[in-house]
Amino acid sequence: MGLLRRHGPIGTACALAAGAVLVAFLLLIIVLLAEARPVVDAGFLVDAPSRFAARAGVGPALAGTLWIAFLTAAVAFPTGLGTAIFLEEYAPRTRLTGAIESAIANLAGVPSVVYGVVGLALFARGLGLGASIVAGSLTLAALALPTVIVVSASAIRAVPKGLRVAAHGLGATKWQVIRHQILPAAAPGVLTGCCLAFTRAMGEAAPLLVIGAAAFVTFAPGAPGDPLTSLPTQIFAWTARSQEDFSALAAGACVALLVVLLAMNLVALAVRHRLRGGKR
Amino acid sequence: MNISASGTGPETPALSADALTVRFGGKTALSEISLSIPRGRVVSIIGPSGCGKTTLLRCFNRMNELLPGAVTTGTVCLNGVDLHGERIDPVEVRRRIGMVFQQATLFPKSVFDNVAFGPRASGYSGDLHVLAEEALTAAGLWSEVAEDLDAPAMELSAGQRQRLCIARTLALKPDILLMDEPTSALDPTATARIEATIHSLKSDHTIVIATHNRAQAARLSDLTGYLDRGELLEYGPTETLFTNPRKRRTEHYLTGRIS
Repeated sequence: MGLLRRHGPIGTACALAAGAVLVAFLLLIIVLLAEARPVVDAGFLVDAPSRFAARAGVGPALAGTLWIAFLTAAVAFPTGLGTAIFLEEYAPRTRLTGAIESAIANLAGVPSVVYGVVGLALFARGLGLGASIVAGSLTLAALALPTVIVVSASAIRAVPKGLRVAAHGLGATKWQVIRHQILPAAAPGVLTGCCLAFTRAMGEAAPLLVIGAAAFVTFAPGAPGDPLTSLPTQIFAWTARSQEDFSALAAGACVALLVVLLAMNLVALAVRHRLRGGKR
Repeated sequence: MNISASGTGPETPALSADALTVRFGGKTALSEISLSIPRGRVVSIIGPSGCGKTTLLRCFNRMNELLPGAVTTGTVCLNGVDLHGERIDPVEVRRRIGMVFQQATLFPKSVFDNVAFGPRASGYSGDLHVLAEEALTAAGLWSEVAEDLDAPAMELSAGQRQRLCIARTLALKPDILLMDEPTSALDPTATARIEATIHSLKSDHTIVIATHNRAQAARLSDLTGYLDRGELLEYGPTETLFTNPRKRRTEHYLTGRIS
């Protein structure tokens, strides 16, 4: 076999693994598209859910997901990056700081449904936001926050010491060093990590279901206070129904969700590319 | 308080230290260093590696306090003003006393942006291009980079990088130039160019060089100090120190018995 001769046994095993992943991914897309075909039409992306599968669409859920993506990032990104900057650059290296850091790292591994329960108590009931887009976004922001902090902190930590020393040595203030040397050098790492955190949060159904996402929202949310709906919760609601047509709708919604996540990744990729290119 | 304003008479040393002691944790890196550096002279600090040369230089522009656990006592004065005084901003100190480091760490930006970083940080309001040309010329790099100031600094050779670091520091128009082993990572040709640069800077700068290269100290400096295990054993005119050292350990170091 040519593969074996060219890459050796371990290389071949790795190549087969990569091939299997590719095949699995293609199968996923093909199956979803095939499943979705019978009910998905031109109006699918704008229509509201309906009792009749043929008339149903993901309009409100898609709008909900876009709202949530925007609000979650708007809350979690500045908070998380700010926390990471504080922990790495300002906080004294004490045992307390170490304890806070490992607590945050552990929070990154807490199951999403737990965040749902916290969100229900804190945002939906405590703040009286109810089962709204903003309550869902805050919950997902809380879910993404530990990951955003951990990846940003490690990207900041990875910036070569020499850069800091050189910038301080040239009479830059602490903030100038952070703003002009550390953040640009850490940006690609921060962006990659945040992208992972946000796309994971976007795909979550469990915490939103706990808060009380509605399965039957007939109008696209136009404000943060509107009823909570999103693609993952819509998919869950449709797969829970027995009629076959609804599982086709769920497959269609899955395709829409994948496209949204892919688009988010592409934007991050483009920004990262510009950051790298901008350094020249 | 303006550091450069007071005490600029000819008798006031540009830089002086008195009973300067630095500890890291429980370990003493420098003990009771006292010396004065006259204006317009080149001073070398020589000594075996780990003797505290870098720490001493970093005291002069308050870089040590960026290291966790560093405790400094004693005084360091610029033009007679105590640099650890209550109203002195360490950022301002670093703008007055520039430092070139052993490792030429450039910013991942263009040649021009590297030179402009310091002046921009301190809010320089003049023409940055004029300033950059002056600094690059003084560092002996202008003719090599004049054609493409927007080229990435990372593409320069090791010797050019170090000269860019010097230019970057000169752009701040500092009173004092500190150089920590400026040529230890360079080949002989590049070293010769840096030394020529230092020579040309001599006329209007006060320069302090830390080096383990004895010949370099002898070639470049008016005054030399021998630092050994955190103590300044000997300090005086370069020629006297090299030809007629007073301490046994200085002699041992100069003859290569301590390295």
